Amino acid sequence: MEASNSARFDTLLKRGELIESMSEMTPDYLKELKHTLIVSGDTELISAPAYYLAAKKAPSVNAFMTGIAIIQDELAHAHIAYHILEELGESQEYLIFKRDPKDFRYPYAFDVPLESWTELVTANALYDQAGFNLLGDIHEQCSYGPWKRGLVKVMAEENFHLRNGRNWMKRISQAGGAAKDELQQAVDWMFPLTVEWFGLPDNLKQHSAQLDYRLKGLTNDQLRQAWLSTVVPFLDSIGINAPAHQEGNAWVLSYPFPSTFDADDKRWDFNDPCTWDDVLSRWRARGPRNAEMVALFQESFHKFQVRA
Amino acid sequence: MSATVEALDRRVWAALRDVQDPEMPVNLVDLGLIYGVETLEGHVRVRLTFTAMGCPATEMIMDDIRERLLREPGVASVDLDVVWDPPWSAARLTGTGREALLAWGLSV
Repeated sequence: MEASNSARFDTLLKRGELIESMSEMTPDYLKELKHTLIVSGDTELISAPAYYLAAKKAPSVNAFMTGIAIIQDELAHAHIAYHILEELGESQEYLIFKRDPKDFRYPYAFDVPLESWTELVTANALYDQAGFNLLGDIHEQCSYGPWKRGLVKVMAEENFHLRNGRNWMKRISQAGGAAKDELQQAVDWMFPLTVEWFGLPDNLKQHSAQLDYRLKGLTNDQLRQAWLSTVVPFLDSIGINAPAHQEGNAWVLSYPFPSTFDADDKRWDFNDPCTWDDVLSRWRARGPRNAEMVALFQESFHKFQVRA
Repeated sequence: MSATVEALDRRVWAALRDVQDPEMPVNLVDLGLIYGVETLEGHVRVRLTFTAMGCPATEMIMDDIRERLLREPGVASVDLDVVWDPPWSAARLTGTGREALLAWGLSV
């Protein structure tokens, strides 16, 4: 890129204008944009097999249809991100079908199996709320025009997922007894996993190119707070315990953050606080369902390839 | 028809306009899903359809209707009668519904 283009890019960005094409970008901006899109595409894509395992346990025909419709939405959202990546010079085929499972960049939470309708609707209320906060921020702030505009319908559809989660959680809580106990157990392991989803706390994250480039507008902690401010009052309202409370304007976790998680047991050990390095190692090693879920769509792709 | 019955019919229609489609920014009346409303001594019967037989939100929509109508003074019970004839088409959108969907980027 010529120096004049780089100066023009800086001016566009500073003025709050949108970047519309690759010719307007600096190489570093392109790299950060691609990284952000890959995380978003991978997250939407992998939520499909993650939700499917649990959607099969739907308690009615229409509930099953709702589950499947949500999965269809998530795949469409993934398609938007990968489609933009393709326009930016990446190969969709490589990204989806040829990458090593461990190279996918989605939140660790999806690697832990969702095994019941209760866990699916809890994911709709907690995980999709996280997606809503993250994508809503990108929708409002993103400096890359094509992605910002593509997110209008995504936001409306995520809202449908949230409603499914919340309506069902309310209903299950009202049912009481064993159904409510199961719901509380789901929240107990899924809540801290979603808190973790937003990444390193701001005091450990020195610098964010995503913020510099206005690919997003809020910091990790701001997004985490936004999530807590919605989810905790909701859980309170349906009589489910949330391990967090409000102190002044801030939401405070009632357990050491970060802590150790046993994915096979779906259990947190709050007596065993760990470091963020430990968390990053757990994320890098991926969780129980990573390889299986990626194989789910990669196997068939390779099977039907015509050999030259 | 007495004035009170007429008033309840009107209030039920108005209440149904408060119920949003869960996936699109339009209410059920402007979307053209409501085929008829009958009221008898606090008992409300709503005839309605959905945009598609595969609509994944039918239970959500029916729950929302019941919840809203039961909040209306004078409504004691709600009966929902789902019909597929005549089938829904975009022609059933009201002018407001059409504008809302167009503004949202759907071609109708």
